[in-house]
Amino acid sequence: MVSMDEREGQLKVVHYLNQFFGQLGGEDTADVGFVVKDGPVGPGRALQKALGDEAEIVATVICGDNYFAKEPEGAAQEGVALVAGYDAGLFFAGPAFQAGRYGVACGAMCKAVGEALHIPVITGMFEENPGVEMYRRNAFICKTGESARGMTDAVNCMVKLGIRLMTPPAQAELVSRENIPSPEEYGYFPRLINRNVYTDKTVAERSVDKLLAKLRGEPFDTEVQLPTFERIAIPPAIKDVSKAEIAFVSDGGLVPAGNPDGLSGRGNLRWATYEIDTFLPEKIDSSVYEVVHTGYFPVEVIANPNRLVPVDAMRDLVKSGQAGRLHRTFFSTSGNATVARRCAEMGVEMGAEMKKRGVEAAILTST
Amino acid sequence: MRLEIECIDIDDLQPGPKTRAEEHVLYVDLKELEELILRDSRLATVDIRLVYPEDKVRIVNLMDVVQPRCKVDKVDADFPGFVGKMQIAGSGRTRSLRGVGVLVADPQTTRKYSAFLDMSGQGAEMSVYGCLRHVVLAPTRAEGTEERDFEDAVKIAGLKTAVYLARGAEGHPVDHTEVFDLDIPSQRAKSDLPRVAYYYQLYSPQHDHKGISDACYYGTDVRHFTPTILHPNEVLDGGVVGAHTIRSLDTYTVQNHALIRELYKRNGKDLIFAGVVAGVVALDPAAKARQSTMAASLVKNVLGADGVILSKVHGGMPHVDLGLIADECEKLGVKTAVFAHPLVSAGTLTDGLLFNSEALNLIVMMGGVLERAKIPLDAERFLGGTADTHIYCPDPIIQRAGDPMVDFEEFLLAGVHDHLGGSRIIVKDY
Repeated sequence: MVSMDEREGQLKVVHYLNQFFGQLGGEDTADVGFVVKDGPVGPGRALQKALGDEAEIVATVICGDNYFAKEPEGAAQEGVALVAGYDAGLFFAGPAFQAGRYGVACGAMCKAVGEALHIPVITGMFEENPGVEMYRRNAFICKTGESARGMTDAVNCMVKLGIRLMTPPAQAELVSRENIPSPEEYGYFPRLINRNVYTDKTVAERSVDKLLAKLRGEPFDTEVQLPTFERIAIPPAIKDVSKAEIAFVSDGGLVPAGNPDGLSGRGNLRWATYEIDTFLPEKIDSSVYEVVHTGYFPVEVIANPNRLVPVDAMRDLVKSGQAGRLHRTFFSTSGNATVARRCAEMGVEMGAEMKKRGVEAAILTST
Repeated sequence: MRLEIECIDIDDLQPGPKTRAEEHVLYVDLKELEELILRDSRLATVDIRLVYPEDKVRIVNLMDVVQPRCKVDKVDADFPGFVGKMQIAGSGRTRSLRGVGVLVADPQTTRKYSAFLDMSGQGAEMSVYGCLRHVVLAPTRAEGTEERDFEDAVKIAGLKTAVYLARGAEGHPVDHTEVFDLDIPSQRAKSDLPRVAYYYQLYSPQHDHKGISDACYYGTDVRHFTPTILHPNEVLDGGVVGAHTIRSLDTYTVQNHALIRELYKRNGKDLIFAGVVAGVVALDPAAKARQSTMAASLVKNVLGADGVILSKVHGGMPHVDLGLIADECEKLGVKTAVFAHPLVSAGTLTDGLLFNSEALNLIVMMGGVLERAKIPLDAERFLGGTADTHIYCPDPIIQRAGDPMVDFEEFLLAGVHDHLGGSRIIVKDY
């Protein structure tokens, strides 16, 4: 990260707006493509005012909401190409408040600019904007009100965060010494990571204080909220299993020898597919596979991987006509202390892939 | 039970012809210490070094950290079952040296997760041990000794050294005496203060090296332990020690058990310290049910607690078991505070919780022990191993102690996190 002191001249900033805030027109101009204007426009003037002499908004990139929404990733790439020419050190988008299409566009622009230009990217949204969940990982999204009535607060929040990102404090508060501002202090949606922070009180002191409050019937703060899970309806049964193509999924960490996809033994976030015929042939060859999962004793699985992924039993069922086909690849992941959110995402990703391949059913085995 | 810990502040550590303490300087007869350690026939040699803050040294293959302690008024009573003969720890007088530690390394370890410590640079700043002076032991295995036997011997060498050093300070004026006096039977008298117990998860067999549990309790392992009541002084005074590998928990941390000390501090003022229930992580559902129902019953029906704080050891299964026990406590009407930490730095803290019970509405976050940190190499010398010694990295790479930068999970750097509540770290959503 480049601090402002080290820069020659002023920090350059590029700002993204939709057609409305970019003063091209209302909903009737939402189909308009990218337009670039020099200097700040609309909310950009408020941003510039709050930035003062710290930085200069050199250009405003504007795009119609409908144009962007038609193909967000392609539009974002088009937008990045326009931003790239300005040698910017910081990128702002919006704020989008509760506007859904605009929020997604701001998020997509932030993601693309951050990934391509490696500069801090900041936007602002209301908590119910779909852009928050879609892009909170990829951008600093300041918490804003529902509408442009909250513009002043939103702009101040974005600028304060921007300045903080460009001038990291000398004394890091994080154990890892990374420069990440506190979401509470800077008013942005946490980016789905967690970090260790130094505190005044020990864990022991806090636990006794809080338990005593709980015992006295006084208010107390738990330091993490319990999860809420949605109920998932059981899908309808397969009409004819004898014709269905069935895939195996396992989180037991069974991978080809050498672990080519780099699945982790714990806290794993990846999945991969492996050809069953070469990986789990009828005659087991223990030199072709290994178990990367570090949360169970894999002795039985290493001796015979069919005990994790019952391919042998399935082959028999296929031969006898009771099951249709065994899908040619095995879907593998390593499920040891992986966060539930990522597990759900992997399920969606695997499901989509199976659907694409015409798999009709899946058997999931765990350890 | 009354325990007096007589603390002597040690400002310097020097080799000397006779082990003694004078004017806050501890002199160590290295030859005599070596002879003492090598009386154990399982050890072939031992490399003994003194290290100081700011030394450009990285100690690798670290197995334990021990505070020098010895009993003053009892014979053969140090670390009972490990060094001394079996007797109940926790009463009488104990000498404790502050500002100095014993670092125990196993240069021949085959364990995947071995801890390390730096005496200078960022690594030293992150660790509570970076500012102490240490006696470093690195023994080698005698021919014919099995690996796990050797590990036990290395562990005990560290404890013996701690006793030897503390004994050497005999005659030095005491700087401060800490009194831990808790007569649990008489605490049963009526008081308006809430009775608070502590559930101490001692061990999890999930990390057993070569399928054998480490001894950590009066000289024995606790794999088949059923929940038991301890006096807190037993924990502070050598009845419990760290396992054979540091995972945010070593003997020094147990000797200075932060939560027990905090409960003592508040005893009689804000609460009545009702005692300690100790248990272990269970590997199968039936055993989990036994552990959780028995532990909760001891907390409620034997200690008569109104509230309980529960601490865990490293890992996901310990997290699950702690939730089960806390849930059983709440069912019996005992209010709980549960220690937890996420097992991965991705997702929200809520995503990382491995239990889900509405009754567990007070969760206290320790630091995320699996958080990744990077520190540039500052060391010029390596003890307990070499510059080629592996330091585990979760990425599929081989990382060595002498690499210009090590990228590791924080539990591998001794003295950063403390599962017993002593660290001033909280993990937060970012």
